[in-house]
Amino acid sequence: MTDPWSVLGLQPGASADEVKKAYKTLAKKYHPDVAGNSPEAARRMQEINAAYDQIINHRESSSYGGYSSSSSYGYGGDSGEPIELGAAISYINARRYREALNALSAIPAEKRTARWYYLSSYAKYFLGDTQGAISDIDEAIRRDPNSMQYMAFRNRITGQRQQYTAYTGTYGRPAGSMGGFCLNLCMMMAFFRFCFCWI
Amino acid sequence: MFGYVTADIANMSKEEKACYKAHYCGLCHVLKERYGTAGTSLLSYDMTFLEMLLSDLNDAEEHRGTERCATSPIKEHLYITTSCTGYAADMQMLLAYFSAIDDEADEGKGKAVLRKAEPYIGRLRDEYPRQASAAERGLKLLMEDEKAGTHDAELLSRHSGTIIGEIFVMDDSSFFRDDMRALGYGLGRFIYLMDAWCDRKKDARKGLFNPLGPDACWDDAKEMLLSAAADASAAFERLPLDEHISILRNVLYSGIWLHGEHRKGKGK
Repeated sequence: MTDPWSVLGLQPGASADEVKKAYKTLAKKYHPDVAGNSPEAARRMQEINAAYDQIINHRESSSYGGYSSSSSYGYGGDSGEPIELGAAISYINARRYREALNALSAIPAEKRTARWYYLSSYAKYFLGDTQGAISDIDEAIRRDPNSMQYMAFRNRITGQRQQYTAYTGTYGRPAGSMGGFCLNLCMMMAFFRFCFCWI
Repeated sequence: MFGYVTADIANMSKEEKACYKAHYCGLCHVLKERYGTAGTSLLSYDMTFLEMLLSDLNDAEEHRGTERCATSPIKEHLYITTSCTGYAADMQMLLAYFSAIDDEADEGKGKAVLRKAEPYIGRLRDEYPRQASAAERGLKLLMEDEKAGTHDAELLSRHSGTIIGEIFVMDDSSFFRDDMRALGYGLGRFIYLMDAWCDRKKDARKGLFNPLGPDACWDDAKEMLLSAAADASAAFERLPLDEHISILRNVLYSGIWLHGEHRKGKGK
């Protein structure tokens, strides 16, 4: 298992903008136009993409192996869950979210578990369907209220709004005012994110 | 698009302004090359945003030049083009064509743009079948829903989101295609809603369809606009951008609100 930070040549915890810069520099180096069509360059590029994806996108999901398990998605003989669920995870790891939703929709309603709703929420979120993502994660939480992972993901979705309005405020034109409640929520989010980065 | 995706110039550094302007002029330059004055009349800041976004994402090499033009006939000015400028110009033409069809159906306007765009639409359809069919299908669904009397602005805005989402994906095999699609989806919804907000009085006077209606209040509209903008920005922040990130953020977090803020008072 490779550490995504070291793939990008960064210290753990580097800012998102530093991650982006590092990614761009490496992507340029291993681009086929520069590096040619060598299998080694292609492999490096895949690794760089996966590392970027892990750091920027899959903060909450390390437990089901976004980046770490390229050989196995951890779903071979697992507890009788439908094979389509494993396929959906593979698609999510490959950033093919529409295909992931297709795989999920093949699972009949009576076999849909909390995990199914979480994965569906995940794919919808990355396709920009925030409302769909919220309604699915709510269903996942209803079925499994003790999952910290689901709660953290819900906070991430709903936290988007607060992050947006907070950043908008830096331009001196608040598109929505931030009250004490929002600030508390932001802090809670930051706390959750911290937890799940390191567990 | 409709000119809502613009920068908040007051919050830009001198260098950023110069860069933004040079890309705007670059898009104009390519529109003229490809479509003559029919093209330059369509020039927009919305597509300048897409051009700068794609150029940054793809690390596209910049070509710089200077020229005089109709709006600046005496002083030579800088323009910057990249390998993505042609795509932005083509999408500008494609969108102009389909929104002209929409306008014609709505208010009987848009004939002039249709005449201008018609000679090119065949090539554009061939070259960009995915984008063209998304635009065609999205506008058809939008017209059907509007005719059916739907006043769910949020629902209607999704058609516009789907169209712009597809336009934002230049390369459907890119690792970042879904983030680009999600960004376009949010912005497309935002544009539709902002357009509805800004035109609500005018549409009422002319008896045209408006999903918000003349008595809509800003707080309700703002809720929907904020959702769309926050979705777009979340996707934006997932993209590995560096070169133009400050200008693009300026547009997303501040510039897009300027129209609505201006007209907020008039609605009350």
